Amino acid sequence: MTLSWLGHATILFTLISLVLGALDLLVSLRRRSLAHSRWFAGGALLGILSSVGVMEFALVSHNFSLAYVAENNSRFTPLVYSITGMWSALEGSILLWSLLLIFCLVAVVIRYRREASDDVVRWATTIVFAVAAYFLGLMAGPADPFVATVGTTSSGAGPNALLQDNPLVAIHPPLLYLGFVGFTIPFAFAVAMLITGRVRDRWPLELRRWTVLSWGALTLGIVLGAWWSYQVLGWGGFWGWDPVENASLLPWLTGTAYIHSVIVQDRRGLFRVWNLSLALVTFALTILGTFFTRSGVLQSVHAFSSSSLGPLLMGFFVLTIGGGAALVTWRGDELRSPVGVDHPLSREGVFVANNIIFVGFAVVVLLGTAFPLLYEAINGGQVTVGTPYFATVAAPAAVVVLALMALAPAMSWRRSTWPVIWSRLRTSAWVAIATVFFLELAGVRHAVALAGYFLAIIAAGSALRTLSGLVRSARRKQRTPWSVLLGPTAGGMIVHLGVVILSVGIVSSTSFVTRGEVTLATGQSTVVAGQTLTFNGFAVVSDAVKNATELKVVVNRSQQLRPAITTFRGREGQTVGTPAIDSNFWRDVYVTFDAVGGKGSTSGAQVANNLPAGSVVLGVTVEPQLSWLWIGGIVIALGSAVTFFRRREVAPA
Amino acid sequence: MKRRAISLAGALGVLLVLSLGLFLGTRHVAPEASSLPSPLLGQVAPAISGSVLGARSTASLSNLRGHVVVLNFWASWCGPCAKEAPELSTFAWSQRAVNGAVVLGVLYNDSLDQATAFTQRYGSLYTSIIDKDGLIANKLGVISPPTTFVIDRHGVVRASFVGAVTAAQLSASVDAVTS
Amino acid sequence: MRIVASFRLWLAVTIVVLGLSFVATSQQSPVDQRTAYLESIIRCPACEGLSVAESNATSAVAVRHEIRQAVVAGSSDSVIITSLEARFGSSILLSPPTRGLGTILWLVPLAIVGLGVIILLRVARHNEK
Repeated sequence: MTLSWLGHATILFTLISLVLGALDLLVSLRRRSLAHSRWFAGGALLGILSSVGVMEFALVSHNFSLAYVAENNSRFTPLVYSITGMWSALEGSILLWSLLLIFCLVAVVIRYRREASDDVVRWATTIVFAVAAYFLGLMAGPADPFVATVGTTSSGAGPNALLQDNPLVAIHPPLLYLGFVGFTIPFAFAVAMLITGRVRDRWPLELRRWTVLSWGALTLGIVLGAWWSYQVLGWGGFWGWDPVENASLLPWLTGTAYIHSVIVQDRRGLFRVWNLSLALVTFALTILGTFFTRSGVLQSVHAFSSSSLGPLLMGFFVLTIGGGAALVTWRGDELRSPVGVDHPLSREGVFVANNIIFVGFAVVVLLGTAFPLLYEAINGGQVTVGTPYFATVAAPAAVVVLALMALAPAMSWRRSTWPVIWSRLRTSAWVAIATVFFLELAGVRHAVALAGYFLAIIAAGSALRTLSGLVRSARRKQRTPWSVLLGPTAGGMIVHLGVVILSVGIVSSTSFVTRGEVTLATGQSTVVAGQTLTFNGFAVVSDAVKNATELKVVVNRSQQLRPAITTFRGREGQTVGTPAIDSNFWRDVYVTFDAVGGKGSTSGAQVANNLPAGSVVLGVTVEPQLSWLWIGGIVIALGSAVTFFRRREVAPA
Repeated sequence: MKRRAISLAGALGVLLVLSLGLFLGTRHVAPEASSLPSPLLGQVAPAISGSVLGARSTASLSNLRGHVVVLNFWASWCGPCAKEAPELSTFAWSQRAVNGAVVLGVLYNDSLDQATAFTQRYGSLYTSIIDKDGLIANKLGVISPPTTFVIDRHGVVRASFVGAVTAAQLSASVDAVTS
Repeated sequence: MRIVASFRLWLAVTIVVLGLSFVATSQQSPVDQRTAYLESIIRCPACEGLSVAESNATSAVAVRHEIRQAVVAGSSDSVIITSLEARFGSSILLSPPTRGLGTILWLVPLAIVGLGVIILLRVARHNEK
């Protein structure tokens, strides 16, 4: 019994459990009988855990009888990177996706076990079974992770160099996938609600909670991905508007729109059709994201090797959109609410503007990402749509979003008047303009950055005002502040604060970045943007996995950095630059080993023949407040976790 | 009226998304940048000159006007360059016998010591010039070695190869250019 | 606190202060400005989507030198871009062409903004009844 056979058996077992689970539910819906979801979900869980177990066992024990292990692992790969090797290439990534999806299936079955006879639950569970079966089907056929190695291999190729020099490879993909996969549940419930026509009572709230959970995981996943890129890719940037990055942003954008417009539905029963459509579209966009990552139609640093999965994934996307549209058309009329938005200057109005911006921006990002393909099909040439375009479109959108964040908490429902809004924002507005004035006195004259700070401060003030209002109302009722600070409103304001911190980080680090290349001889120092860098010589580090030539660099005479050029052992012997970062609250100093002088060395670094031996060329990037991005991301994640606490009583707004 | 406008807008939106989906699903895999033909084909090659590796002289493309030139970018750290080095030497030698094409190598982003060691190991039978700071590579749009250009007697770029070439490929290309 | 309460006063102060930010303390020379702009829209030839301003690869550094020399020599932006396209292909530009098919990339965002304004105005007018 070979590992390959065992792996195939577990995949088949899981697939059959899922298909039978879906069929069983359909039968129970027809016959009005009990379903046996827990057994089929349990079977699927057992199956997928076994599949993952077989793969991880093979990776950790460096068993090269599996082709996947031979290509992504080697005899000297450390334990951590052997484990993470499971998702470092295409077929294994689908295994991870399926594992998380089946976890979600089990979560749904357990959570609603007491309402298992409710039609909405039955339809929703059927959909989740079906989606999981689709992904298992991919693994049973075109994306098989358990293909046996042909011939013999004594030592594997090892993982890609960029996937084994940073521990974030263990956290970012699972978290990101959890975000994507999580949106299957709101999708399943949206479809179930449309099929059964039960679009009121408790289901919208359930849908909303699952969406917030997935959205939180996706946000954290994207932020960690940006942090990882920042740490390894060598240019001090964290977002490249790369097709795969854009694809992960699309469901995040529509998810954000949904989270806001569903608050209006909660309050006033509006936008039901729109919200259900957003839930369907968000899931469809996660499938589109999978398509961009795995079809190979667009070049990307993050894409897996191309495969025949493209048409299959696109087929699924088309099915989801078409089916969803059909359902919404069928039930649309029943969902319409008799009332509408009273006035644009109201909380509802701001949420409408929010939706227009987020969904509109998603459309623009999708268009920009697909444009090179359109251009090639029509004009035959190659074009690139890169940062200049996306940044030009994103900047005004971000400004509007910050302004909306500033206004919304200060607006009343149904209709607000400007004097009332002004009275609520007065303090923040004066603080904001005073801060801008002092920054200008200090010499900062970058107009866009100042506008960003200005709006960010008002937005933060608005959120803090709401939070303090909650605490005051709690005190009045003689309750502890925690009873109100743990709840959806407070959570939402904390998320807004996180977004403000993140935005300030982005504005500062992109507007006031200093980039340069400095040449230093051993023992020499230089100053870049107020930071002193000293080069103290070379060091060679060698272990079972890699061979690196490090430079001993000291920042501001106290922080030790070791930028390096690292060569990973393995069949292809990949060489990558390893940047070194000195990070604190106020700025990041990002140093790369760019070239070495003289006649060269065995480091693999680029050679600058006209420089004396023993001198090096360092790439230095100084970015103010870059760590605020990561801090902001964590605050956002905390805020979304806080929204899960239910309020003991509904507080008046 | 408003309801109909919304439904129409929705239907239009769905239709656009579906068309985009079908369009994307029928795209072929993106070509590697290296497999695309050089935009310089049919253009006169830019002026190139540099100091010769291992000698104190300089060489330039303009001095070779009137000959067919095979311009080859290489580096010692590049695996496929090692594979094609013997082929290039064989080709260069055979052409020298019939007073045919001239092979001119360009050293791309390499240390002089290691480059010299490379030529000694593979017995390169043609001159190579040093590309200081990558300027020559940039003039020809070379992104990574090995990249080879075939330039005719009038200095016009007629063929380009990215990746290791064989003596047979070069012979065929040079014959096509000479005729 | 009547003064602080006044919206109009605050608006006036804001306009003045934000307007000050356009009075730059040090102007970048035109050469530096043009070079920085070109460097941000030309892709590093050996990289996936990084501009030559951001990358320190040899080819990127070489292209930066070339751009600076050309700007100092007085060549116009389009001449510099065309010469780079002649060697590296049209995909060397990070920003898509503004003529031809590329116009939809700028029309669509504007259309969305227009749509948004229309929607919000319709809500306002509906309420005036």
